[in-house]
Amino acid sequence: MNAAIKLLSSPRFAAGIVIVLILICILGTLFPGGDVIFTSILFLAPLGLFALSTATCTLMRIVPIWRDVRRPEIEVSDQFVQSLPYHAYLPGVTIPQVKRLWKGFRWREELKSKNTYLFAQKGTVGRFGPPIAHLGVLVLLLGVVVGAAYGHVSPQDRIVMAPGESQHVDGFILRLDEFNVSYYASGVAQDYRAKVTLIDSNQVQTGEITVNSPLIHKGLIISLYGYDSNGFMESGKVSWVAFQIKSDAGLPLVWCGALLTIAGIVLSLYLSHRRIWIKESSEGILIGATSNKSSIRFFKIVDEFRAELENLRSKTESRD
Amino acid sequence: MDAAALEHLGFEIALGTYLISSVVLILHFATRKRRLAEMGFNLIAFGFAFQTVALALRWFYAGYPPWVNSYEVMSFFAWAIVAAYLALNVGSDYKSVGILVAPLAFVVLSFASLQPTNPTPLVPALRSVWLFIHVPITILSYCAFFIAFTASVLYLFKSKQLSEQGPAEELYRQTEGSEYAPSATQPESTGVLDKFTLSQLDDLAYKSVAVGFPLLTIGILTGAIWAETAWGSYWSWDPKETWSLITWFVFLAYLHVRAQYQSRSLAAYIAAFGFVSVMFTFLGVGYVLPLLQTYIGVSSGLHGYAGGSAIAGSVLFFGILAAVLFLLFKTRKKPPSVNHAPTVEDDH
Repeated sequence: MNAAIKLLSSPRFAAGIVIVLILICILGTLFPGGDVIFTSILFLAPLGLFALSTATCTLMRIVPIWRDVRRPEIEVSDQFVQSLPYHAYLPGVTIPQVKRLWKGFRWREELKSKNTYLFAQKGTVGRFGPPIAHLGVLVLLLGVVVGAAYGHVSPQDRIVMAPGESQHVDGFILRLDEFNVSYYASGVAQDYRAKVTLIDSNQVQTGEITVNSPLIHKGLIISLYGYDSNGFMESGKVSWVAFQIKSDAGLPLVWCGALLTIAGIVLSLYLSHRRIWIKESSEGILIGATSNKSSIRFFKIVDEFRAELENLRSKTESRD
Repeated sequence: MDAAALEHLGFEIALGTYLISSVVLILHFATRKRRLAEMGFNLIAFGFAFQTVALALRWFYAGYPPWVNSYEVMSFFAWAIVAAYLALNVGSDYKSVGILVAPLAFVVLSFASLQPTNPTPLVPALRSVWLFIHVPITILSYCAFFIAFTASVLYLFKSKQLSEQGPAEELYRQTEGSEYAPSATQPESTGVLDKFTLSQLDDLAYKSVAVGFPLLTIGILTGAIWAETAWGSYWSWDPKETWSLITWFVFLAYLHVRAQYQSRSLAAYIAAFGFVSVMFTFLGVGYVLPLLQTYIGVSSGLHGYAGGSAIAGSVLFFGILAAVLFLLFKTRKKPPSVNHAPTVEDDH
C-alpha cells in the first residue's frame, strides 16, 4: 500500500501520466471520428490515474506546507543557512545594525543561549497556490463525472417543432411562437431568433432563444439546434425548428473547480514565499534567503541589503 | 483613399519593415554590433505603429474586431508577438530577442497576405461578447509562449556554446555570481548570447510561461463557457479544444519539471517543443487537419477561420515546424572530444 502511494505521489509518475494523456489526445484528433477515444478506457484510465496522482500528491504535501508556513524553524544551524540558495557571512556586522537597516519585512526574533536569531517571511499564501490549483482540477473532474452520470434528464434531448406548435418537455410545455432570421445586406444570415413561450404548471414565461443565448428553466438548458431552411428564402417560413434540451448537474462543480484552478495557478506563479534567516555567528552574522520559486529579483534585494550592511560596517569602523 | 486602401497600405509598410528588421537583426547576431540591435528594434517599432493603425482601421470599417477570418487572425497574431516583444523591452533591454520575433512576424504577415482580405460579417454563432474575450486572450497566450520559445532556444544555444568552450569555462560562466551582481558588460562583444546569462534566459522563459499559462487556462475556460451557451456543451473534444488542452498539458509539464528537477535544459526543451503544440493549436488544427483528412468537425464553422486557404496555412505551419526543429537540432551538444585531460599513461 505504501509503495502504491509512493508511486502515485511521485513527480515522475505524474509526468509519465501527462505524457500518456498528451499522446492519447493527439491520437484522438488525427482521424475522423477519433473522438470516440475520449469516452474509452484508453483515455479514462490514465485520466483516473491523473486524478489519483493529483489527489495523493496534494494530500501528502498539504501538512508539511502548513507546518512550514505556520511554524517555521527560527533557531537554525549554521549549516542550514549555508545550504540556502542565497547565503553570505558578514563578519563584524551586528544584529542591531541589521534591524536598523532592514525595512519591509516584519522580523520574528528568538533569543537562545546568547545567540539572536532573526526570521522574516513574505508571501506565505503563495505556498498554497499549488494545493488550491490541484484541488480545483479535482473538483472540475468531479463535476465532469457528475455531469456525465446525471446529465440529460429529459427523455428526448432534441425536439423538433413547427411554428405555432407546442410540445411537452419534461413536465412543462414549450411552444414555438415565431422564428425569424435576420440578414446582412449581403444576404448572409446575421442571427436566428426563436420566440418561445414556456408554460410550467400555472406559470407562463415568454422568451427569445438565439444562438448565443439559450433559455434556462429549472436547470434545463434549451438552445437552438437547427431549422429547416427548405424554401425559407422565398417564403420566409420554416417548417420546423429544432431545439436541444439538456441538463448538466455537474456544471456548478465544473465552474467552481475551474475558478479554483485559475486562482491556484495565479497564486502559485505570482506570489512567491520568500524567507530570510539571520543569525549571529562567530563575530558576525550569517544571512540566508530562499524562495519557493527562485526569484532573481528577491535575491538581488537581499544582496543589496548585504551591501548596505557592509557599507554601514565600514563606516562604523572608520569612525572608531 | 478609403479605409480599406489605407489599411492595405499600413499592412504593406509593416510587412516591409518587419522584413528589413529581420535582416538587420540577423546581421546583429552575426557581427555582434550593438547598433544593429538598436536599429532592428526601431524598425520593428516603426512597422508596429503602422500595423496598429491598419488593424484599427480594419476594426472600424469591417464592424467587428480584427480576429475573425484567416487574414485577420494571422495579422493579429503577428501584431501581438511584436507587441509582446515591445512590452518586454519596456524597462529592460531584450532587443536582441527580436532575432526570432521579426522573422516570425514577417512570415506570418506574408501568409496573411495570401488569404482573402474581404471582411466576413459575423455568422450568428460569433455574435457574442465572448468573441472579445476568448479569442484575444488565447492569441496573447500564444505570444507569451513564443517568447518562452525564443528564450529557451537562446538558452540552449548558450548552454551549448559554454559547454564547447570547455567544462571549466562552462562552470565558471554559469556561476559567475552574475545573478546577484551583474557582471560588467563587454561593449565590444554584445551578441545575443553574451549579453544574457543562462539564468536570465531561463528566467525570461519561465516568466513568459508564467504569463502564458494562466492566459491559456482562462482562454480554454472562456471558450468552454462560450461553447456551453452556443452549442449546449462546454467540451466536445473537437480538434481545437483538444489541442489547446494538449498545449496546456505541455506547459503544465514545463512548470512542474522546472520546479521539481532543477533541470533547466529539460525545461527549455519542453518549452521549445511546446511552441510546436501552440502552432498546431493555432494553425495546424484549422489548416493541416482538414488537408490530412476530409474532416468535418463539430465546430469547423467556428474554429476554422472563415475564408482561409488550407494550403497556405499548412505551408506556414510546416515551415515554422521545420524552422523549430532545425533550431533545436543546432542546439544539441556534441559528445566531448577525445583529447581531454592527459591520462597517466601519456605522461612518461
